[in-house]
Amino acid sequence: MRAIMERFKFYSLFIKIFIVMVVSIIAVAISASWTTVRMSEKLFMETFSITNSKVINQIKANFESFHYSIVTATNNTQLSGTIKSFLTEEDSDSTRVFRSFYNMTTQMKRIQSNVDAYQVGIKIMGQNGRSYSTNTNNLLMTDEELRNHKITINTMADPKRLMYQFYQEKSTPTSSQEAVIVASKSLMERTTGDTYGSLYFTIHEKAFQSFYSSMVSGGNDVAILNKDGLIVSSNQSELLGQKADDLLQDAKDIQEKGLDYKNVTFRDKDVIVLADYLSSYDFYIVNLIDKKTALGQMVDTKMVALICSAIVIVALIVVFLISRKLTRSLTLLTRQMSKITERNFHNYITVTGSFEFQELGHAYNYMLDELNDYVERLVQTQKEQRNAELAALQQQINPHFLYNTLSSVKFLVQQGSKEKAVHTIHALISLLQNALSNVSETITVTQELENLKSYVFINHVRYGERIRVNFFIAPDTIDYHVPKLIIQPFIENAFFHGFNKKSEGYIHVLISQESGSLLCEVVDNGDGMESGGAELSLSNESKRQLFTGIGIKNVHDRIILLYGDEYGVTIISKVNEGTTIKIRLPLINT
Amino acid sequence: MLKKETYKKGMKTLKKSFALLLICMMILTACGSNSGSKNTADTGNTGSKSNEAKEITIWAWDPAFNIAALEEAKKTYAAINPDVKVNIIEYAQSDIIQKLNTGLNSGTTKGLPNIVLIEDYRAQGFLQSYKDSFTDLSNSIKGTDFADYKSGPTSLDGKQYGIPFDSGVTGLYVRTDYLEQAGYKLSDLQNIDWKQYIEIGKKVKEKTGKALITLDPNDLGIIRMMIQSAGSWYLTEDGKTPNLANNEALKQAFEVYKELMDSNVANVHADWSQFVAALNNGDVASVPTGNWITASIKAEATQSGKWGIAPLPTLPGNDKSVHASNLGGSSWYVMNVDGADTAADFMAKTFGSDVELYQKLLTDIGVIGTFKAAASGEAYSQANDFFGGQKVVTDFAAWTEQIPSVNYGIHTYAIEDILIVEMQNFLNGKEIDKVLSDAQAQAESQIK
Repeated sequence: MRAIMERFKFYSLFIKIFIVMVVSIIAVAISASWTTVRMSEKLFMETFSITNSKVINQIKANFESFHYSIVTATNNTQLSGTIKSFLTEEDSDSTRVFRSFYNMTTQMKRIQSNVDAYQVGIKIMGQNGRSYSTNTNNLLMTDEELRNHKITINTMADPKRLMYQFYQEKSTPTSSQEAVIVASKSLMERTTGDTYGSLYFTIHEKAFQSFYSSMVSGGNDVAILNKDGLIVSSNQSELLGQKADDLLQDAKDIQEKGLDYKNVTFRDKDVIVLADYLSSYDFYIVNLIDKKTALGQMVDTKMVALICSAIVIVALIVVFLISRKLTRSLTLLTRQMSKITERNFHNYITVTGSFEFQELGHAYNYMLDELNDYVERLVQTQKEQRNAELAALQQQINPHFLYNTLSSVKFLVQQGSKEKAVHTIHALISLLQNALSNVSETITVTQELENLKSYVFINHVRYGERIRVNFFIAPDTIDYHVPKLIIQPFIENAFFHGFNKKSEGYIHVLISQESGSLLCEVVDNGDGMESGGAELSLSNESKRQLFTGIGIKNVHDRIILLYGDEYGVTIISKVNEGTTIKIRLPLINT
Repeated sequence: MLKKETYKKGMKTLKKSFALLLICMMILTACGSNSGSKNTADTGNTGSKSNEAKEITIWAWDPAFNIAALEEAKKTYAAINPDVKVNIIEYAQSDIIQKLNTGLNSGTTKGLPNIVLIEDYRAQGFLQSYKDSFTDLSNSIKGTDFADYKSGPTSLDGKQYGIPFDSGVTGLYVRTDYLEQAGYKLSDLQNIDWKQYIEIGKKVKEKTGKALITLDPNDLGIIRMMIQSAGSWYLTEDGKTPNLANNEALKQAFEVYKELMDSNVANVHADWSQFVAALNNGDVASVPTGNWITASIKAEATQSGKWGIAPLPTLPGNDKSVHASNLGGSSWYVMNVDGADTAADFMAKTFGSDVELYQKLLTDIGVIGTFKAAASGEAYSQANDFFGGQKVVTDFAAWTEQIPSVNYGIHTYAIEDILIVEMQNFLNGKEIDKVLSDAQAQAESQIK
């Protein structure tokens, strides 16, 4: 778990970028398509309602012209004396009746021509029981039924009005329940006010539909309501004859408030309702636009959503790949950089990835280069500084040493041991010659041995020969080089500190080759020291007695500085038994 | 500096690709909505085009009679050729006439049916005017298989165009109970002329107070029946020349008509429902008309047993007049539109040859066909209880064979419109020869 978390840490940038992109792409896609759909819907609704209200006006004009024809026909009927006498006279002989019938039919044919443009049937019915209808198909009931029907009763109740009523055939057992619109008017003697008959214009609901059928389409329906909320005509046949009080209320609202349209729910459907009032009919034209169907034709929401999701998926894949590629190099970089503390400045990174990261890698590697270079130079400088210091120390030939040695020579000359004096001066010269030359130079073991011998000789001259010095040099080592004056400080040390308690002893100098390195040992059997491996305590060292400024303290540092860690000085010392100093040096041939 | 430049370039390409992505998205969205609307627009057109020859359309009127007969034929044909879809569409006869005229006048076959029912009186009008629009069925059916009088209206230039359908054979439907009250029997009416018929009517009126007959001043069907019984028509044999002025049969028919009026035995009706009501209410004692009235008469079940059918009276003083005539009746016509072969096959295998179908039509619907071979079936010889056990179909079949064949021509209804007016003049006292010669003059000026 933690490993996974750890792994994720390196991808956090990628995850963040990706999540942000995912969220924004999805948000953009959703909002864009939502807005598009909404806007087109709104636009569609607006234009739809505008055009539809215009069409409604046209429908209204259709209705009005139909009404005009009916009114004309009604007037003609009322004015016709032939029809009046047909409907009022009593039966007499065949010939007169026959003539009356004939005249009436001729008249009715003329009246029928008023409404010829429409599929209208005309029926007249008189108080004397006579009747005539131009088209038998229209009213499927007998005269007697009609006389007692609500249609006639309503007409007679309001004799001055031409009224439109809805009638649906229910008596026929067949499925074809013919619905008709009946325009009826009672025929009245103007002067007396007596009604002598009634007039019916019947138009099939299907023919009635032709006034508005050009406007209807899928989801765009028309219903004609009478004042009781009954649907007297509709292109949706199942609505026919149904009560729709809610729709009537909506239509009234629209009419009274002067609304353009209204959004309502009708028969579990969201619809837009447009309405107008037909005053001459006392009907309401109601236009129902089913939002779902109408919009379904316009905007395929499913398709839009599908395409959007397809685009989103593609975009996400692209974003995923791109951002992964971008952050991958960064992740690698981060990983490599994070290891820098674990190792050293040589941890260069592999340059990969996009341009930016390549640049970054290059810069980083360049920085490492610089750093390494700087460190190297620093080390070099320090080395040089150290060498310079050593050189300075080395060249500080102790004046006391010279004074003492020259005093000794003076005594030798006074004593007359001229031979020895010459010898001593000779040793001093040789010693000075080596000491004063370049400190960084190395010399052969033979030369170093000569120096040592000179130094020992001078010391013997000065302090007597109670401490003997023996040299054991392996012949195969004499040609190897060693730094100058590397052994001398230890002999000096042994001379002046190794024999404070003991009056006499020896110092062995051994130089040999051991496992690939040169081993120089300075062994004495003097006083020895308490702490075996510890730093030689030389603080109270008398400077006067030193040959040069280089103390044994510096030797170890100097060797490490020159040759590395595996070389250096080790001291083994035991009280009263003596001290063994081992100097390990590399085998240097030139 | 160089590095900065490349960095900027990198940013630019990134921005560009993003912009491209966005544009692509928008275009795709737009395309999506476009294709959506296209899809919905396309769906409306599919479906109607496939297999035109396998789908035929038939126009007819009268759901109780012609449409019902078609439904039977459709069922029969489905067993023979189940692949064919038969659409039966009902229109009023006047609508069919109007639609046919519109379609044929415009010269396009679009919107026309494969098969249409046309009344015999109008058939020649269509055939002669639009011969090429109708299919010659001479190879599918034989005109001689059908009642002879049907060949006039249904054929042209020796080619058989129509499939004769129902018979318009007439009979004199009488109320036997009223007759009995006046001292007559059905057998007394077997061999009478119209004069004798009126005499009987006067007696009936006297005894029962009921009118003998009901007439419509705007329908001279009875005149047509009378003159065809004498082998005469409004037009001469060529079907074009008006034959009114010196038409003896027509003159005699007019005189009978006037006598019906003068003797005050006629009831008057103005429309079909009043006509049927007069029969069903028992207002009239007789109805001379086509056999298709049977269904309407039988609709009043309480009058069962009170009706009988006598042969049509003859014209008095006319030797040629027989006791048989025709009124109405129609035939099927196949139109020259896509699927004409299928339609012809449909007609030939059903109304053109199927005896059993005619039996079924007779028993179930009451259709008396004009297919000769079917006249011998069992249903044809059955006694009818409503008509007092009379074998009415057998009688009608017998009369059918006597119907004189006339050429209805193409102007039957145009001339009748003239005669309706002149009839009024005649009834008002105008001289009969003047009446007919005036009518002749009008007809000649109108019909050219």
